[in-house]
Amino acid sequence: MHNTSSRRTVIAGAAASAVALCATPLRGAEPTIHEVNIQAFVFDPPLVEVRVGDIIRWINRDLAPHTATADERGWGTAALSQGATGDITVTDGMETSYFCVFHPHMKGAIKIV
Amino acid sequence: MKTLISVFTFTLAMTGTQATAQDVAAMNDLEFAHIAYTADNIDIRYAHLALALSDNPAIHEFANTMIRDHNAVNEAALGLLEKLGATAQDNVVSQTLNANAEEIIDGFVQLRGAEFDAAYAANELAYHQAVNDLVENTMIPNIDNAEVKALFVQGLEVFKAHETHAEMMVKALQ
Repeated sequence: MHNTSSRRTVIAGAAASAVALCATPLRGAEPTIHEVNIQAFVFDPPLVEVRVGDIIRWINRDLAPHTATADERGWGTAALSQGATGDITVTDGMETSYFCVFHPHMKGAIKIV
Repeated sequence: MKTLISVFTFTLAMTGTQATAQDVAAMNDLEFAHIAYTADNIDIRYAHLALALSDNPAIHEFANTMIRDHNAVNEAALGLLEKLGATAQDNVVSQTLNANAEEIIDGFVQLRGAEFDAAYAANELAYHQAVNDLVENTMIPNIDNAEVKALFVQGLEVFKAHETHAEMMVKALQ
């Protein structure tokens, strides 16, 4: 009886912990959001250091629409009009050089650490 | 291509005789707005022509960028004018720019293939150089309204990027 009760307590406790873990992600598991401003036809900062799972967020502050698109076009944001943002989640092995499709002299880079 | 460039140079000279830089500098903000709006629309017309006449993907990308960006600038300009309760004022420079554009388009439509691509790229470079010079050195220093001036400064950023892009396109086609 005592053993059964203990087992139930343990199971209930484990279940509660599991729920708690789902509701509150581990601190280390939260992706970092890296913001890159697009202003005056420049990606700022031009190089971002990121980890797999992080999010890179481009914010277009120019009048002209822009994109952030991998050089070989393996990934890319939609066209971003003024004030719009575009997110890309960092994945293992993703291309690390990018540009603006509309203005190809605009270039940026990602370093996965 | 030489014909088109000479037409462009000649017509810019015509602009000089009809309205000197001093005359332009003396214009008001609403006349500046009309000139900029006209210049935007002319480049959009050139771009639509390029999409129709060229098979070169790089030309198409550039032309689509011209349409996208100049429309964005024009929408911002119209939004600001509406906010200010003002209307852009037609003037001799806008009229001359439109007349010049007609001549250039008449030349473009006679070209095909690589000849058209080279002429379009060269004209885009020359056009942006000329308009950027006018905006930067004659219009912006003489704009009275701070919001209008800020929009012209932002617009100039866009047009200078186009000039850089056009330079790249001209080199790539050589």
